[in-house]
Amino acid sequence: MKRKWLKGMALTLMALAVAFGTVSSAGAASKLSGRIVINGSSALLPLTLQAANEFKKLNPKVRISASAAGSITGPQSVRKGIADIGAVDWDASKDVPGFKKFDGQVAHKVAVIPFAAVVNSGVGVSGLTTSQLQGIFSGKITNWKDVGGSDADIIVVNRAFGSGTRVNFQMKALAGKDFMTKGSNYKEVKSSGDMKTAIETTPNAIGYIDLVYVTSKMKAVKINNVAPTEANVINGSYKVWGYGYYMTKEQPTGATKAFIDYVQSKKFQTGSLKKLKFIPISAMK
Amino acid sequence: MSKVTTAANQFAARRGFNQIANRLFTGIVWLIGICTIVFICGLLFLILKKGLPELDWSFLYGLPSEMEEGGGIGPLIFNSFYVLVISLVISIPLGMAAGIYLAEFAPATKFIAFIRICVEGLASVPSIIFGLFGIALFVEALDIGLTIIGGAVSLAFLNLPVLTRVTEESIKAVPKELKHASFALGSTHLQTIRRVLIPVALNGIITGICLTAGRAFGESAVIILTAGVSSSGEMWDFSLYSPGATLAVHLWYVQSEAIVPDAQLIAEKSAAVLVFVVLLINIVFRVPLWLNERKTR
Amino acid sequence: MSMIDIPTSGKASASSELGRSLEASSGRIFSRKSRLSFYNRTFRIICIASAVFVCMILFSILFLMGRTGILTFDTVSVKDFFLSTEWVPENDQYGAFIFIFGTFALTLLTMAISVPLSVIIAIFLSEMTPGWLKTALRPVLDLLVGIPSVVYGFLGLTVLIPMLRTVTGTNMGDGILAAAIVLTIMVLPTISRITDDSIVAVPKKYRDASYALGATRFQTILKVVLPAARSGIMYAVILGMAHAIGETMAVVMVIGNTPQLADALFKPTSVLTSNIVMQIANVPFDSTWNDALYLMGFILLVISLLMIVIVRLIQGRGVKA
Repeated sequence: MKRKWLKGMALTLMALAVAFGTVSSAGAASKLSGRIVINGSSALLPLTLQAANEFKKLNPKVRISASAAGSITGPQSVRKGIADIGAVDWDASKDVPGFKKFDGQVAHKVAVIPFAAVVNSGVGVSGLTTSQLQGIFSGKITNWKDVGGSDADIIVVNRAFGSGTRVNFQMKALAGKDFMTKGSNYKEVKSSGDMKTAIETTPNAIGYIDLVYVTSKMKAVKINNVAPTEANVINGSYKVWGYGYYMTKEQPTGATKAFIDYVQSKKFQTGSLKKLKFIPISAMK
Repeated sequence: MSKVTTAANQFAARRGFNQIANRLFTGIVWLIGICTIVFICGLLFLILKKGLPELDWSFLYGLPSEMEEGGGIGPLIFNSFYVLVISLVISIPLGMAAGIYLAEFAPATKFIAFIRICVEGLASVPSIIFGLFGIALFVEALDIGLTIIGGAVSLAFLNLPVLTRVTEESIKAVPKELKHASFALGSTHLQTIRRVLIPVALNGIITGICLTAGRAFGESAVIILTAGVSSSGEMWDFSLYSPGATLAVHLWYVQSEAIVPDAQLIAEKSAAVLVFVVLLINIVFRVPLWLNERKTR
Repeated sequence: MSMIDIPTSGKASASSELGRSLEASSGRIFSRKSRLSFYNRTFRIICIASAVFVCMILFSILFLMGRTGILTFDTVSVKDFFLSTEWVPENDQYGAFIFIFGTFALTLLTMAISVPLSVIIAIFLSEMTPGWLKTALRPVLDLLVGIPSVVYGFLGLTVLIPMLRTVTGTNMGDGILAAAIVLTIMVLPTISRITDDSIVAVPKKYRDASYALGATRFQTILKVVLPAARSGIMYAVILGMAHAIGETMAVVMVIGNTPQLADALFKPTSVLTSNIVMQIANVPFDSTWNDALYLMGFILLVISLLMIVIVRLIQGRGVKA
């Protein structure tokens, strides 16, 4: 009973809101309506928010609310039915290290995300091999002089377990090898922004981050002598990248389908998505 | 120290020592007080110096942007106030009523001690747990998605314990004579509370509301989980069912995930705006209080 | 609902009108006395209901956390959970001792720094500064509460930690001391402002009596004002402590988030809140890991409730003595 009443009230309020809201955007003509809730990966959030803004201009009757917590939240919220789209940094319809697949969910590729191993700008090392990265991130190599740098302790900065960036970095850059979990020169951070700040301000630190966040105040190192650039990702020589996915419960319909279509459309992929420094999915063969 | 305490009657012998202790104490308090003032000013300066000079109306009123420089925070400021007002409208009456009960009606039994501990316990619940609670209540049980109303009610829960206890403490601090005088004039309990206790305790209660409002204004964890990180993308959206990212959430988002080239600047400006607004809230709440104080004096 | 409506409208000047309408509807004379007693009773009921409602929120939260948390013990033994220091969820090792210990250590350290400081600041504010400075300073202190914890964390990460690193010469600077300093700054305004208010509320005649007996200002404050304001100060300490135990967003940025015992001031470690906030978004809903995090939330609540009870007991004893 109570829920019905609440929903009734919700509908009335929504109708009111729409009535008031349409004044500003009466120009666009679209009959599509509905509510889309998006949750999941925070790395894909800028993309989602941008796409939502553009999509709302075209379809003023669609209400999109987006939030982000962690990659795994995406497909989980979709399974629980509290989100229509789950953004995730890996293909959640397949098993990855640490996470089981989500049966029956449909994965939609929306972007290519390159990752880079980054060091504090004071570190004298400009390139590392896969085995050196494995050694550093598993805690076996603890001094920069062992990998060709000066004599200083390596400060390892890691993302928390379950971060999409971490899953991808582990799979692609460390060839699946486990991270260390403790040590006096080891710490974990919560978000890309924290990683950026930690690497920028901590001498002798090493970490990894989405390529888009790399700033001039840190140094992205070459992995196996290949520099992390967009061109190298597209031509296939730089391997540390992953797709960003939108997960849906089944084949999407209505507003949700229109939104995913919009994100995958050429207009968005080569326009805003590229401006956000993601790589269009069509660029990968 | 302990010597001082036993010195009640031995003025002559102790006088010198007491004077020294007194001077020393005064000195220390002034020193720490001034250090704190300097520190706070430094901290505020650190936050405000980068952001405040850059502020302009287009930033305050503009719509946020994900990729172009020069995005604004208009809808987020609006949401901040909207969420804050709704949460205060819910929590102030509830919190005050509960506080009045604890201070005035409650007999001094174990049960009341228990309620008091509950209220204090609630005050220590980490905001992220309120967020999880909000998800369980609004997103899962009521299925309304990430909305302003969900965020505001969860925030109201967060505010409740502080308001309750502040009300209780302020009312208890009202001198007994006033209360007795009121009863002696034949007022009922309710009249006494309304006309004597609350006006006298108002100063403390308003301090509490200011503290709560300030904290709620800067709260991000609860809102991220219950109201989302997106705003409806237009100004003056009064719908309770819009996604309700507030300024503090935007600050978190810009600091941790945003890709916009001027993210750093937006973060600095948002922080400056937040601090400025909290200052504003304090002033707005207090001006009537000062006037009132002057009048009653 | 109607119970709430009547007294609030009755509060306004329209109370006589309401009385007349009640009179008309009930058909018998509604005397002023019974009307007043009716308001009194209703008001009382509303107040009780509000207090009970506040408690109910706590219990629903406890229930929510407990219901999920208890499932942890299906796969992990109670002893392992509380006493083991191995937190490696990837290998099904769920020892939460480090976090529980860390929470206690961090809270105590924070309180040790912040309580004396706050009380002194409150004395400074209420007893020593001239009036104009008071009116200027109090809002500024309140202002500190409104600074979002993210900003504190960010400043901790970019200003405090590099400073600690140069001062002490450690490699990282992250750890329990950095977190305690950030928390101190965060709870300082709460504790000092409430203490300040309760000191101001001490009747002036107490001070006058004390001065009349020849006491110095130091003696008056220490022996008369502070004891008289004790209830308020205690409340301020509890509130500050509760805030410190529950703070997440700022702590998580400076503590290092590594599951190792906080046996040194500068060693990346983790507390209950930071561990919950780091991992809760990243674990599958129906895993033991998720249950364990909920259980940690539950324990966090229990710990803060316990600390509050202990503080109350100590205070109770003090009153008797």
